[in-house]
Amino acid sequence: MRAVRAIAANTFREAIRDRILYLFIGFAVVMVVSSKLFGMLTVGDETKIIKDIGLAAMLFFSMLIAVMMSMILISREVDSRTVFNILAKPVRRWHFVLGKYLGLVSIVAANLALITFVLMLMVLVVAGELDLMLLFAGAMTMLEMLVLAAFATLFAVLTRPILGSLMTLAVFVVGHMSADLWLLTRQLPGALTRTVIAVVYYLLPNLERFNFRTEVVHDLAIPGAAVGWAVLYAFTLVVVVLFLANLRFRGKDLK
Amino acid sequence: MKRTLASLSVIAVLLGAVVLLEVRLGKITREDPLGRELLYLPSPEMLKIMSLGNPGLIADVLYLWSIQYYSYYQPHERFLYLDTVYNLITDLDPLYVDAYRIGALIMQIQTGGDEEELEAAVRRLFDKGLRNLPDNWQLAEAAAWDFFIRFKDRETALHYAEIATQRPGAPPRIKRMVGVWRDKESAWTLDDSIEYWRRAVEDAENEWDHVLCMNQFYDAVTARDRKTLEPLLDVFAARYGVCPESWEDLIRAGALGRVPLDAYGDPYGIGIEDCRLVAYKKFKDQ
Amino acid sequence: MTDIQLSVRDLQKTFHPGLFEASVEVLKGLSFEVARGEIFGFLGPNGAGKTTTIKAITEIIYPDAGEITVCGLPHTSLEAKRRIGFMSESPYIYRHLTGREYLWFSGELLGLDRSGLADRISGVLDQVGMSGPADRTMGTYSKGMLQRVALGQALLGEPELLILDEPMSGLDPVGRRNVRDIILTQAAAGVTVFFSTHIIPDVEMICDRVAIIVDGRVRAIGAVSELVSDEPTSYEATFVGAVPSDLRTPLEAHHVASGASWVRVATENHDSLIQELGDRGAKVVSLDPVRTTLEDLLMRHYEETGS
Repeated sequence: MRAVRAIAANTFREAIRDRILYLFIGFAVVMVVSSKLFGMLTVGDETKIIKDIGLAAMLFFSMLIAVMMSMILISREVDSRTVFNILAKPVRRWHFVLGKYLGLVSIVAANLALITFVLMLMVLVVAGELDLMLLFAGAMTMLEMLVLAAFATLFAVLTRPILGSLMTLAVFVVGHMSADLWLLTRQLPGALTRTVIAVVYYLLPNLERFNFRTEVVHDLAIPGAAVGWAVLYAFTLVVVVLFLANLRFRGKDLK
Repeated sequence: MKRTLASLSVIAVLLGAVVLLEVRLGKITREDPLGRELLYLPSPEMLKIMSLGNPGLIADVLYLWSIQYYSYYQPHERFLYLDTVYNLITDLDPLYVDAYRIGALIMQIQTGGDEEELEAAVRRLFDKGLRNLPDNWQLAEAAAWDFFIRFKDRETALHYAEIATQRPGAPPRIKRMVGVWRDKESAWTLDDSIEYWRRAVEDAENEWDHVLCMNQFYDAVTARDRKTLEPLLDVFAARYGVCPESWEDLIRAGALGRVPLDAYGDPYGIGIEDCRLVAYKKFKDQ
Repeated sequence: MTDIQLSVRDLQKTFHPGLFEASVEVLKGLSFEVARGEIFGFLGPNGAGKTTTIKAITEIIYPDAGEITVCGLPHTSLEAKRRIGFMSESPYIYRHLTGREYLWFSGELLGLDRSGLADRISGVLDQVGMSGPADRTMGTYSKGMLQRVALGQALLGEPELLILDEPMSGLDPVGRRNVRDIILTQAAAGVTVFFSTHIIPDVEMICDRVAIIVDGRVRAIGAVSELVSDEPTSYEATFVGAVPSDLRTPLEAHHVASGASWVRVATENHDSLIQELGDRGAKVVSLDPVRTTLEDLLMRHYEETGS
């Protein structure tokens, strides 16, 4: 486990010093702060607009960071010879996979924490309220990112950097669309078609399970069961996907 | 260094040219009789899917767009399209109070077109909002008031007012209003309106409510002041053959004691062309 | 304590690049052994399978067949890996880490005791001559500096077996000398050194034994002195006062330039050449024996396998 910690810490250190990260963070902060401008354009409740924009920024920039940094931190290392010096040491392949995943996750978490803080500050300044539900929204977004980062890790050990990033992006898009698409396709004729679509739907991650943004913005009650099961769903997905990643990586000849 | 400056200068000049061209293009009027943009709005299901888990944000964007777009254009027969837009927004975010309230308001300021269709559209929007927001009494109050003032439909107004009283947290003033409106004999006067909205302003729970109630209060006060002040303008015009240029003229003529102030405490204006009262209503606290 | 530090037996590996590309058989039954304390050179042209062999030993790739033991243990065991110090060809840059941080990371991976690690790292940095730039980020290092840091991380765990893949490639003469010195120092301290290269002089200078690998097999293995004969195969002479075309002695090669002539003759014709030059009154400027070099040997095997 020391190896896992070392790899995770090293990954985090490398990322935090990479300027490209600050580009994303900068954009995210600008987006959240500029939500005030949009708030000024509205006729009505400014705070809703600020929260909507802020939560969307939380989601999209975390996703972008997960996608980009997995390419930089994992894909590139696997694809080039850098990983040799690690694996030639008394380090198992799963140490590498888990360590890289945790490093990636920690970077996403740091970024998410920052955006959440900025958003809460904005809402405090504009509306005079300290909305702790925004912390909850941040936590749920982090849960979603745990799942996405696992997929990013899988694709990084599976294929080339750019292709892996695109596939991670695809998982994000499909993960948010799958529930709606499934509902739409239920009207389609043919039991076989519906069965196939149902199988695909259940196998793909439904990222909408982590979406409580409407409840947070409109201050609605949040069913504890939905959150509890979502946490379990997330962790199960993470374990499954990382297992797959390790399975693939374990037998892979590295060139 | 010189080369960099030269390059930057060239870029600045080109950018300036781009801006000028855009300004020039903006001056060219293009035929857009049916508001074609609206025909390209995707269905709410599609937009929801495309939003990738952020339908509320898309609703916000559409809402902001609708405000900018419709505040820019002259009111026309566009309320039917407003109907579509606000339906879309409220499909994406059924709990978006402002979309119902302000959507109805914007629809109402449209002129031309079928009055009955307009009233039906406004009613549909309010009903949708009241369905989706069962605990919201402010929306019901707004519906009641809009139908009373704008459409002069006392029955419908009463219907909404009664809904408002049944919702949690409804203030006593609504019950009083219902009482007066139910009694077909008693008349609801301007003073009743002023008193009603003065109380509403005091009881406003948040800043936005305060602004909205203040608006209504302002309108009511202005309506009353118009009734007393415009006759004075007419008398002056009849006597001196010209509209008074300022309130001081009326004060000097002995018709007024002091400069009349609006609900904000600012002086009214006098419109010289038609010799009417001019109210400088501020929609937001500026 | 085993005497054989590295044993490779009948190693086979075929790569399957893709659906539409032909498979490539890289290792065709490779075998060799490296004894404790030796400096062992693994020599061969590009594409011979040197790096593939090293990757198989360090479990970066998985051989199709064959047996590998490291320090008497299966090469897949963590304990075996703990005893290896490995340096890959063209070391990676963690651009934003300093050399010292990279070595610390390596130390963590090796499971070294944290309390003495900082001192060990300083010691290793001294050894490879990187104490000065140790706290600069590796993105600012030259290639030579990166090689030295990479060598440092190989030495960090006080390995019993050093495995170095092309350790001197891309270095300037000073850099190469440094690496050679480090290898010699390590060997003197009892460390077994196994390194691959395609640069022959490096092998000739420091290796105790060498294996020549061409086309996936070991073609020759033994001490350098065993592999190349001490006897000259031919002689080269430079002289003035006569021209090669006049000579009766059979010449292997000849050349004339600026009034001087140069010829090469087989050893058996050495005496007759000297005689003839003397008879003609030519003045011999130089006379040098030519011995079979490792390069000749390598080229011979190369040609034999038709690579």
